[in-house]
Amino acid sequence: MPGEIMIECDGLTKRFGHFIAVDHVSFKIAAGSIFGFLGPNGSGKSTVIRMLCGLLQPTEGVAKIAGFDVTRQTDEIKSIIGYMSQQFSLYDELTVYENMTFYGRLYGLRGDALTKKRDQLIKLTHLEPFLRRRAAQLSGGWRQRLAMACSLLHDPQVLFLDEPTAGIDPVARRELWDLLFEFSSRGMTLFVTTHYMDEAERCTHVGYIHMSKLIVCGAPDDLKALPEVNPPGTKRLDVTCDHVTKALQIVHRLQGVRTSTVFGQSMRLLVDQSLADDVIRSELARANITNVDIRQISPSLEDVFVALTANRDREVQEAAA
Amino acid sequence: MKSPFRGFVAMLYKEFIAVLRDPMTLFFMFFPPLVEMIAFGYALDNDIKNMSLVVLDQDRTVESRELVDRFANTGTFRVTGEAQSLEEVRTIMRRGKAWAALQIPPDFTRELHAGRTAHVQVLIDGSSSTPALQALNTSLAVTLRQSVVALLQESGRTQVPVEVRPQVLYNPALRSPNFFVPGVIGVVLQIATTFASAMSLVRERERGTLEQLLVSPLSRWGLMLGKLTPYMCIGLVMASTLFGIMHWLFLVPIAGSVLSMFVATIVYVFTLLSMGLLVSTRAQNQMQAMQMSMALILPSVFFSGFIFPRETMPWIFYEIGFFIPTTYFIELMRAIVLRGASLQEFWVNVVVLIGMGILLFMFSALRFKRRLG
Repeated sequence: MPGEIMIECDGLTKRFGHFIAVDHVSFKIAAGSIFGFLGPNGSGKSTVIRMLCGLLQPTEGVAKIAGFDVTRQTDEIKSIIGYMSQQFSLYDELTVYENMTFYGRLYGLRGDALTKKRDQLIKLTHLEPFLRRRAAQLSGGWRQRLAMACSLLHDPQVLFLDEPTAGIDPVARRELWDLLFEFSSRGMTLFVTTHYMDEAERCTHVGYIHMSKLIVCGAPDDLKALPEVNPPGTKRLDVTCDHVTKALQIVHRLQGVRTSTVFGQSMRLLVDQSLADDVIRSELARANITNVDIRQISPSLEDVFVALTANRDREVQEAAA
Repeated sequence: MKSPFRGFVAMLYKEFIAVLRDPMTLFFMFFPPLVEMIAFGYALDNDIKNMSLVVLDQDRTVESRELVDRFANTGTFRVTGEAQSLEEVRTIMRRGKAWAALQIPPDFTRELHAGRTAHVQVLIDGSSSTPALQALNTSLAVTLRQSVVALLQESGRTQVPVEVRPQVLYNPALRSPNFFVPGVIGVVLQIATTFASAMSLVRERERGTLEQLLVSPLSRWGLMLGKLTPYMCIGLVMASTLFGIMHWLFLVPIAGSVLSMFVATIVYVFTLLSMGLLVSTRAQNQMQAMQMSMALILPSVFFSGFIFPRETMPWIFYEIGFFIPTTYFIELMRAIVLRGASLQEFWVNVVVLIGMGILLFMFSALRFKRRLG
């Protein structure tokens, strides 16, 4: 039921020897949400997913899915979750159709129920033309669709996707997200790890993990409104102009500019409220930079993560000193 | 109550398709054992015939030529050359051109007719013990026989005082293949089956599909049995092929019941596959799986009685043989194929094999972790 808590972690920790892969991670995910789990490589994303799926035993802490404990009630959990691992684990020597039949049977589907569900997913994922093709001969995007179809045959309440869009083309990426929205609208809870900020923006909730610790978790709009992201007395500007890289160096030296970064044809600045747009304009004009257009903007998720990671690193350094 | 074998049918479906679609695996399961079977079958041969014999006849009489003929007529020797001096004989033998040499001294005929002991010298290359022994026994028998015949003539008797009437049972022609080939089948079968099952789980681990299986409700028994069954079928097809080769190529007669042979084979292959599964619960990659299976297979080659009779081994090696499934299977095969024994007469072997198989299977299923890392 929407609004109900579907996934819950409290102090979830995983140690491999001395290495702490996941450090006291806690969050709650409501049923029906699309939870985007972000973080750099090796930050512990996959480890969290594996613990939630019952593949790894947590060293410490509790995790529950639909109220079932992941360490003790694995059998109950297995039938309500679907898992699509990073490498889209399929059997290469089996055809598309056979892969689906196998995974369906693995979850105890038989006869009409299997046929019905399989046909439905084939239609949904447009795999029809490839049914007799071996999985080994599919391209990345189609492999991923097949992997997804296989993980959905038993109608899971929660679907875990570990970097489902890594290494596939933009069209396939877009189509995958369309599919995800469709599942979400049917009440399925989705847990997606990704590197892409634009994908994070599509999620109803996001979590950001850095150096094994969960830095932040919440709805994108709430995160963008956090005071750490929007320090009092500052504003965010988008400055479009000619020669952006040259302009960046000029602006960078300007009094009142806190951070600056190039974003395509424009610069994104975090500046003091007191810094007038005209100061920037005149400074750029002195360097013969024209076509200057300045707009005030709200922070992106990337801004959120950058600001929070910087804060965290500063805290760690201060603690060490 | 959930079935302890849930997921078994799905695994069976997948494994059969996967195995039959993978010609490389099938080839490597079938080809090496067939080659080994044929190579072993021909190479392992204790029947020593036509050993080259060089003759140094310094007597050069009818009698001396008769003696040379007697040596040649045994079939053990074949005269390949004549030497002129003892020096030449030694050179020939050192170069390995002859297995044995027969030196008949100049006074051979004279001494013989004078009723004194006529001496002949036989030189044997002892660097290879089995042929040397055969050469020794044959030359002793030839000269002993001649001495007995001579003594009979002198004493006027026409019959020898004692005569042995040997009757060799089960393998009257004493053919080596009859002894070796059933054993070769035992050794060769385990190479294919143990490797195949050791690889199968490890391959899933390497490819990452194991992770997908672990998040599903598949039970450990369903997984293990699903892995084992297809290879069991392949193992039986292979065993049938090997039995065919044994019977029609190596012409080993089958004295017992073919059904008993297959019952023994099913039990044996089950044990071997379980051993492979145990390896695959432990090995992290295919290389490790290969080495571990190799370590399990090698002792059977030495200690199962496949080439050397276990009874002649030092006690420790004899005891080791009791822990090797191949030992029991080879005993069963020789008993059924050669002596026409029934399974009832060898029930201990069958029970031990079943016990080993079930223990190994249960152990590998229970050892298998349904989690990673």
